[in-house]
Amino acid sequence: MSFRKSIRGRRGRRRVSSHFELQLTSMMDVLVIIVVFLLKSYSTATNQFSAMAGVQLPYSFSQDSPPDSLHLILTPEAMTFENERILEFTRSAGDVGTSDASYSLRPSDTDEGGRRVIPLYDALIKARNKSELLRAKSTKRDAQGNPLPFEGVLAIQADKRVHYDTIRRVMYTAGAAGYKVFRFLAMKKE
Amino acid sequence: MLKRPTSKRKSKNQQIELNLVPILDTMVTLIGFLLFTTSFLAIVSIESPFPETNSAQVEKKIKERPLQLTLSLREKESELWSPFERIPSKVIPHATPELPTGVPQPDIKKIHDALIAIKQQFPEETQLILVPNPSANYDLLIGVMDTARAIEPTDPPLFRKNPKSGNSETIKTLFPEIIFGNLLETEGGA
Repeated sequence: MSFRKSIRGRRGRRRVSSHFELQLTSMMDVLVIIVVFLLKSYSTATNQFSAMAGVQLPYSFSQDSPPDSLHLILTPEAMTFENERILEFTRSAGDVGTSDASYSLRPSDTDEGGRRVIPLYDALIKARNKSELLRAKSTKRDAQGNPLPFEGVLAIQADKRVHYDTIRRVMYTAGAAGYKVFRFLAMKKE
Repeated sequence: MLKRPTSKRKSKNQQIELNLVPILDTMVTLIGFLLFTTSFLAIVSIESPFPETNSAQVEKKIKERPLQLTLSLREKESELWSPFERIPSKVIPHATPELPTGVPQPDIKKIHDALIAIKQQFPEETQLILVPNPSANYDLLIGVMDTARAIEPTDPPLFRKNPKSGNSETIKTLFPEIIFGNLLETEGGA
Protein backbone atom coordinates (compact mmCIF):
# COMPACT_ATOMS: atom_id res chain seq x y z
CA MET A 1 0.00 0.00 0.00
CA SER A 2 2.68 2.45 0.98
CA PHE A 3 4.71 1.39 -2.06
CA ARG A 4 1.79 2.24 -4.37
CA LYS A 5 1.30 5.60 -2.70
CA SER A 6 4.90 6.58 -3.12
CA ILE A 7 4.84 5.68 -6.82
CA ARG A 8 1.67 7.70 -7.33
CA GLY A 9 3.20 10.60 -5.48
CA ARG A 10 6.33 10.53 -7.60
CA ARG A 11 4.29 10.36 -10.80
CA GLY A 12 2.19 13.32 -9.67
CA ARG A 13 5.24 15.40 -8.91
CA ARG A 14 6.78 14.64 -12.25
CA ARG A 15 3.59 15.66 -14.03
CA VAL A 16 3.47 19.05 -12.30
CA SER A 17 7.12 19.85 -12.97
CA SER A 18 6.84 19.04 -16.66
CA HIS A 19 3.81 21.36 -17.32
CA PHE A 20 4.28 24.19 -14.86
CA GLU A 21 5.19 27.59 -16.38
CA LEU A 22 5.41 30.86 -14.48
CA GLN A 23 3.20 33.53 -16.06
CA LEU A 24 5.51 36.52 -16.25
CA THR A 25 3.32 38.76 -18.43
CA SER A 26 1.13 40.05 -15.60
CA MET A 27 4.18 40.58 -13.43
CA MET A 28 5.79 42.55 -16.25
CA ASP A 29 2.69 44.74 -16.46
CA VAL A 30 2.92 45.57 -12.75
CA LEU A 31 6.64 46.31 -12.96
CA VAL A 32 6.21 48.56 -15.99
CA ILE A 33 3.56 50.58 -14.11
CA ILE A 34 5.88 50.92 -11.10
CA VAL A 35 8.80 51.99 -13.30
CA VAL A 36 6.67 54.59 -15.08
CA PHE A 37 5.43 55.97 -11.74
CA LEU A 38 8.96 56.16 -10.35
CA LEU A 39 10.33 57.81 -13.48
CA LYS A 40 7.50 60.36 -13.37
CA SER A 41 8.22 61.28 -9.77
CA TYR A 42 11.98 61.08 -10.20
CA SER A 43 13.65 64.33 -9.36
CA THR A 44 16.65 65.26 -11.46
CA ALA A 45 17.71 67.97 -9.00
CA THR A 46 21.41 67.98 -8.26
CA ASN A 47 21.21 68.67 -4.56
CA GLN A 48 21.55 66.68 -1.40
CA PHE A 49 18.81 68.47 0.55
CA SER A 50 16.19 66.32 2.18
CA ALA A 51 13.71 66.66 4.99
CA MET A 52 15.52 65.89 8.23
CA ALA A 53 13.78 63.83 10.90
CA GLY A 54 12.33 66.05 13.61
CA VAL A 55 12.44 69.24 11.54
CA GLN A 56 9.01 70.57 10.60
CA LEU A 57 9.54 72.45 7.36
CA PRO A 58 7.00 75.02 6.18
CA TYR A 59 5.35 74.71 2.77
CA SER A 60 6.01 77.07 -0.11
CA PHE A 61 4.56 77.66 -3.58
CA SER A 62 8.04 78.40 -4.91
CA GLN A 63 9.12 76.36 -7.94
CA ASP A 64 12.85 76.99 -7.55
CA SER A 65 14.86 73.87 -6.88
CA PRO A 66 17.91 74.76 -4.78
CA PRO A 67 21.31 73.93 -6.27
CA ASP A 68 23.83 72.30 -3.97
CA SER A 69 25.41 74.68 -1.47
CA LEU A 70 26.54 74.89 2.14
CA HIS A 71 23.70 73.80 4.36
CA LEU A 72 22.60 75.08 7.76
CA ILE A 73 19.82 73.37 9.70
CA LEU A 74 18.05 75.32 12.43
CA THR A 75 15.83 73.55 14.92
CA PRO A 76 14.35 75.18 18.02
CA GLU A 77 17.00 73.36 20.06
CA ALA A 78 20.20 73.43 17.99
CA MET A 79 22.13 74.59 14.93
CA THR A 80 23.73 72.11 12.52
CA PHE A 81 26.14 73.17 9.79
CA GLU A 82 27.15 70.66 7.11
CA ASN A 83 25.91 67.72 9.22
CA GLU A 84 27.89 68.84 12.26
CA ARG A 85 26.10 70.15 15.33
CA ILE A 86 27.86 73.41 16.13
CA LEU A 87 25.59 74.96 18.73
CA GLU A 88 22.84 74.10 21.19
CA PHE A 89 20.41 76.69 22.45
CA THR A 90 19.61 76.98 26.13
CA ARG A 91 16.11 76.43 27.36
CA SER A 92 14.60 79.35 29.27
CA ALA A 93 14.34 78.59 33.00
CA GLY A 94 10.71 79.74 33.18
CA ASP A 95 9.65 77.26 30.51
CA VAL A 96 11.06 74.11 32.05
CA GLY A 97 8.33 71.48 32.15
CA THR A 98 6.08 73.19 29.61
CA SER A 99 5.38 71.92 26.11
CA ASP A 100 6.03 75.17 24.22
CA ALA A 101 9.41 76.06 25.63
CA SER A 102 11.49 78.87 24.23
CA TYR A 103 15.16 78.51 23.45
CA SER A 104 17.79 81.19 23.27
CA LEU A 105 21.45 81.66 22.51
CA ARG A 106 23.93 81.76 25.37
CA PRO A 107 25.44 85.25 25.77
CA SER A 108 28.88 83.61 25.63
CA ASP A 109 28.09 82.28 22.13
CA THR A 110 27.53 85.75 20.66
CA ASP A 111 29.41 89.00 20.23
CA GLU A 112 28.90 92.35 18.44
CA GLY A 113 25.93 93.18 20.65
CA GLY A 114 24.43 89.69 20.36
CA ARG A 115 24.22 89.83 16.57
CA ARG A 116 27.09 87.53 15.62
CA VAL A 117 27.04 83.86 16.58
CA ILE A 118 30.67 82.89 17.27
CA PRO A 119 30.57 79.08 16.66
CA LEU A 120 28.64 79.62 13.43
CA TYR A 121 31.03 82.34 12.29
CA ASP A 122 34.02 80.06 12.89
CA ALA A 123 32.37 77.20 10.98
CA LEU A 124 31.43 79.47 8.07
CA ILE A 125 34.92 80.94 7.83
CA LYS A 126 36.41 77.43 7.89
CA ALA A 127 34.07 76.32 5.08
CA ARG A 128 34.85 79.45 3.09
CA ASN A 129 38.62 78.94 3.40
CA LYS A 130 38.23 75.33 2.32
CA SER A 131 36.13 76.34 -0.68
CA GLU A 132 38.60 79.04 -1.71
CA LEU A 133 41.51 76.61 -1.41
CA LEU A 134 39.71 74.11 -3.64
CA ARG A 135 38.96 76.84 -6.16
CA ALA A 136 42.61 77.94 -6.16
CA LYS A 137 43.69 74.37 -6.93
CA SER A 138 40.98 73.87 -9.54
CA THR A 139 41.74 74.24 -13.24
CA LYS A 140 38.60 76.33 -13.75
CA ARG A 141 39.56 79.99 -14.20
CA ASP A 142 37.83 83.24 -15.09
CA ALA A 143 38.63 85.42 -18.11
CA GLN A 144 41.66 86.98 -16.36
CA GLY A 145 43.02 83.57 -15.38
CA ASN A 146 42.17 83.97 -11.69
CA PRO A 147 40.45 81.26 -9.65
CA LEU A 148 36.67 81.49 -9.65
CA PRO A 149 35.37 83.73 -6.82
CA PHE A 150 33.70 82.30 -3.72
CA GLU A 151 29.95 82.05 -4.37
CA GLY A 152 28.93 82.73 -0.76
CA VAL A 153 25.58 80.94 -0.86
CA LEU A 154 24.11 79.52 2.33
CA ALA A 155 21.02 77.30 2.33
CA ILE A 156 19.00 77.72 5.53
CA GLN A 157 16.67 74.88 6.44
CA ALA A 158 14.80 75.98 9.52
CA ASP A 159 12.04 74.41 11.54
CA LYS A 160 8.82 76.36 11.10
CA ARG A 161 8.81 77.24 14.83
CA VAL A 162 12.20 78.96 14.74
CA HIS A 163 11.90 82.67 15.39
CA TYR A 164 13.08 85.35 13.01
CA ASP A 165 15.36 86.70 15.72
CA THR A 166 17.50 83.56 15.47
CA ILE A 167 17.39 83.59 11.65
CA ARG A 168 18.38 87.26 11.69
CA ARG A 169 21.45 86.51 13.79
CA VAL A 170 22.35 83.67 11.43
CA MET A 171 22.04 85.96 8.42
CA TYR A 172 24.09 88.68 10.08
CA THR A 173 26.81 86.17 10.99
CA ALA A 174 26.84 84.73 7.47
CA GLY A 175 27.03 88.22 5.99
CA ALA A 176 30.00 89.00 8.24
CA ALA A 177 31.69 85.80 7.03
CA GLY A 178 31.26 86.81 3.37
CA TYR A 179 28.10 84.89 2.49
CA LYS A 180 25.94 87.17 0.38
CA VAL A 181 23.04 84.99 -0.72
CA PHE A 182 20.61 83.02 1.44
CA ARG A 183 18.35 80.26 0.25
CA PHE A 184 15.43 79.55 2.54
CA LEU A 185 14.34 75.96 2.12
CA ALA A 186 10.77 74.72 2.38
CA MET A 187 8.64 71.83 1.25
CA LYS A 188 6.99 72.19 -2.13
CA LYS A 189 3.27 72.88 -1.93
CA GLU A 190 1.39 71.35 -4.88
CA MET B 1 3.38 9.45 -52.88
CA LEU B 2 2.66 12.07 -50.29
CA LYS B 3 4.69 15.23 -50.21
CA ARG B 4 6.43 16.31 -47.02
CA PRO B 5 4.90 19.40 -45.38
CA THR B 6 6.80 22.56 -46.20
CA SER B 7 8.82 24.40 -43.57
CA LYS B 8 6.37 27.35 -43.89
CA ARG B 9 3.49 25.24 -42.70
CA LYS B 10 5.60 23.96 -39.85
CA SER B 11 6.50 27.42 -38.54
CA LYS B 12 2.87 28.58 -38.68
CA ASN B 13 1.93 26.04 -36.07
CA GLN B 14 4.89 26.79 -33.80
CA GLN B 15 4.26 29.06 -30.79
CA ILE B 16 6.85 31.78 -30.24
CA GLU B 17 7.54 32.46 -26.59
CA LEU B 18 9.32 35.67 -25.67
CA ASN B 19 11.94 35.19 -22.98
CA LEU B 20 10.87 37.73 -20.38
CA VAL B 21 13.38 36.79 -17.70
CA PRO B 22 16.18 39.21 -18.72
CA ILE B 23 13.64 42.04 -19.13
CA LEU B 24 12.31 41.21 -15.69
CA ASP B 25 15.84 41.35 -14.25
CA THR B 26 16.36 44.80 -15.80
CA MET B 27 13.05 46.03 -14.43
CA VAL B 28 13.81 44.87 -10.91
CA THR B 29 17.25 46.51 -11.02
CA LEU B 30 15.75 49.74 -12.37
CA ILE B 31 13.06 49.82 -9.69
CA GLY B 32 15.66 49.26 -6.99
CA PHE B 33 17.81 52.10 -8.33
CA LEU B 34 14.86 54.50 -8.65
CA LEU B 35 13.54 53.70 -5.19
CA PHE B 36 16.97 54.26 -3.72
CA THR B 37 17.63 57.59 -5.42
CA THR B 38 14.18 59.20 -5.67
CA SER B 39 13.25 61.87 -3.21
CA PHE B 40 9.48 61.96 -2.85
CA LEU B 41 9.55 65.13 -0.73
CA ALA B 42 10.50 67.98 -3.02
CA ILE B 43 12.48 70.77 -1.40
CA VAL B 44 12.20 74.25 -2.89
CA SER B 45 13.97 77.48 -2.05
CA ILE B 46 13.36 81.20 -1.82
CA GLU B 47 16.45 83.29 -2.41
CA SER B 48 17.26 86.50 -0.60
CA PRO B 49 20.44 88.55 -0.90
CA PHE B 50 22.29 90.06 2.04
CA PRO B 51 21.55 93.82 2.10
CA GLU B 52 24.60 95.84 1.13
CA THR B 53 24.86 99.56 0.80
CA ASN B 54 27.45 102.28 0.58
CA SER B 55 27.42 106.07 0.75
CA ALA B 56 27.26 106.44 -3.06
CA GLN B 57 24.17 104.25 -3.21
CA VAL B 58 22.53 106.19 -0.38
CA GLU B 59 23.18 109.50 -2.16
CA LYS B 60 21.79 108.06 -5.39
CA LYS B 61 18.66 106.89 -3.56
CA ILE B 62 18.12 110.29 -1.98
CA LYS B 63 18.31 111.88 -5.43
CA GLU B 64 16.19 109.32 -7.27
CA ARG B 65 13.67 108.69 -4.45
CA PRO B 66 12.82 105.11 -5.41
CA LEU B 67 9.71 103.30 -4.18
CA GLN B 68 11.71 101.00 -1.85
CA LEU B 69 8.52 99.21 -0.87
CA THR B 70 8.75 98.06 2.75
CA LEU B 71 6.57 95.58 4.59
CA SER B 72 6.85 95.80 8.35
CA LEU B 73 5.37 92.96 10.37
CA ARG B 74 4.59 94.14 13.87
CA GLU B 75 2.95 92.47 16.86
CA LYS B 76 -0.59 93.63 16.08
CA GLU B 77 -0.45 94.94 12.53
CA SER B 78 1.43 94.96 9.25
CA GLU B 79 2.35 98.09 7.35
CA LEU B 80 3.20 98.66 3.71
CA TRP B 81 5.08 101.89 3.25
CA SER B 82 7.75 103.69 1.29
CA PRO B 83 10.58 105.56 3.09
CA PHE B 84 10.47 108.17 0.33
CA GLU B 85 6.68 108.50 0.66
CA ARG B 86 6.02 107.40 -2.91
CA ILE B 87 2.84 105.66 -1.74
CA PRO B 88 0.48 106.39 1.14
CA SER B 89 1.26 104.11 4.07
CA LYS B 90 -1.20 101.23 4.47
CA VAL B 91 -1.74 99.59 7.84
CA ILE B 92 -3.28 96.11 7.81
CA PRO B 93 -4.46 94.79 11.18
CA HIS B 94 -3.65 91.16 11.94
CA ALA B 95 -6.31 88.54 11.26
CA THR B 96 -8.34 87.35 14.21
CA PRO B 97 -7.16 83.90 15.30
CA GLU B 98 -9.52 80.98 14.79
CA LEU B 99 -9.03 79.80 18.37
CA PRO B 100 -9.57 82.23 21.28
CA THR B 101 -6.18 81.21 22.67
CA GLY B 102 -4.43 81.75 19.31
CA VAL B 103 -2.03 84.56 18.52
CA PRO B 104 -3.11 87.11 15.86
CA GLN B 105 -1.15 86.57 12.67
CA PRO B 106 -0.58 88.94 9.71
CA ASP B 107 -3.48 88.92 7.28
CA ILE B 108 -1.72 87.31 4.31
CA LYS B 109 -4.70 87.74 1.96
CA LYS B 110 -5.06 91.48 2.61
CA ILE B 111 -1.29 91.97 2.33
CA HIS B 112 -1.35 90.20 -1.04
CA ASP B 113 -4.25 92.37 -2.27
CA ALA B 114 -2.43 95.52 -1.19
CA LEU B 115 0.73 94.34 -2.97
CA ILE B 116 -1.26 93.70 -6.15
CA ALA B 117 -2.63 97.27 -6.02
CA ILE B 118 0.92 98.65 -5.59
CA LYS B 119 2.23 96.48 -8.44
CA GLN B 120 -0.48 97.88 -10.71
CA GLN B 121 0.82 101.34 -9.87
CA PHE B 122 4.53 100.40 -10.15
CA PRO B 123 4.76 97.51 -12.63
CA GLU B 124 8.54 97.79 -13.00
CA GLU B 125 9.22 97.41 -9.28
CA THR B 126 10.50 93.99 -8.26
CA GLN B 127 11.97 94.56 -4.81
CA LEU B 128 10.38 94.33 -1.38
CA ILE B 129 12.09 95.13 1.90
CA LEU B 130 10.78 92.82 4.60
CA VAL B 131 11.02 93.94 8.22
CA PRO B 132 9.59 91.16 10.40
CA ASN B 133 9.01 91.19 14.11
CA PRO B 134 11.76 89.21 15.96
CA SER B 135 9.08 86.86 17.33
CA ALA B 136 7.75 85.97 13.85
CA ASN B 137 8.39 82.33 13.09
CA TYR B 138 9.92 80.79 9.96
CA ASP B 139 6.55 79.46 8.80
CA LEU B 140 5.16 82.99 8.74
CA LEU B 141 8.24 84.33 6.94
CA ILE B 142 7.90 81.75 4.18
CA GLY B 143 4.16 82.49 3.91
CA VAL B 144 4.77 86.24 3.60
CA MET B 145 7.59 85.76 1.09
CA ASP B 146 5.35 83.47 -0.95
CA THR B 147 2.49 85.96 -1.00
CA ALA B 148 4.86 88.79 -1.94
CA ARG B 149 6.46 86.85 -4.81
CA ALA B 150 3.71 84.91 -6.51
CA ILE B 151 0.75 86.05 -8.59
CA GLU B 152 -2.21 83.78 -8.00
CA PRO B 153 -4.57 82.65 -10.79
CA THR B 154 -7.42 84.57 -9.13
CA ASP B 155 -5.49 87.86 -9.17
CA PRO B 156 -6.30 90.48 -11.81
CA PRO B 157 -3.91 90.34 -14.78
CA LEU B 158 -0.91 92.64 -14.49
CA PHE B 159 0.89 94.12 -17.47
CA ARG B 160 4.06 96.02 -18.10
CA LYS B 161 5.31 97.75 -21.20
CA ASN B 162 8.32 96.14 -22.83
CA PRO B 163 10.76 99.03 -23.42
CA LYS B 164 12.27 97.33 -26.49
CA SER B 165 9.17 96.26 -28.41
CA GLY B 166 6.72 98.75 -26.89
CA ASN B 167 4.18 95.96 -26.42
CA SER B 168 2.40 95.14 -23.19
CA GLU B 169 3.44 91.85 -21.62
CA THR B 170 2.03 89.92 -18.69
CA ILE B 171 3.82 90.13 -15.36
CA LYS B 172 4.42 86.68 -13.92
CA THR B 173 5.86 87.55 -10.50
CA LEU B 174 4.90 90.20 -7.97
CA PHE B 175 7.98 91.24 -5.96
CA PRO B 176 10.48 88.39 -6.40
CA GLU B 177 13.46 90.18 -4.82
CA ILE B 178 12.94 90.09 -1.07
CA ILE B 179 15.54 91.67 1.18
CA PHE B 180 15.46 91.62 4.96
CA GLY B 181 15.68 95.15 6.21
CA ASN B 182 16.45 94.82 9.90
CA LEU B 183 19.44 92.48 10.06
CA LEU B 184 21.56 94.99 11.94
CA GLU B 185 19.10 95.52 14.78
CA THR B 186 19.82 93.87 18.11
CA GLU B 187 16.51 94.18 19.96
CA GLY B 188 14.33 91.22 20.90
CA GLY B 189 14.99 87.79 22.35
CA ALA B 190 15.58 84.57 20.45
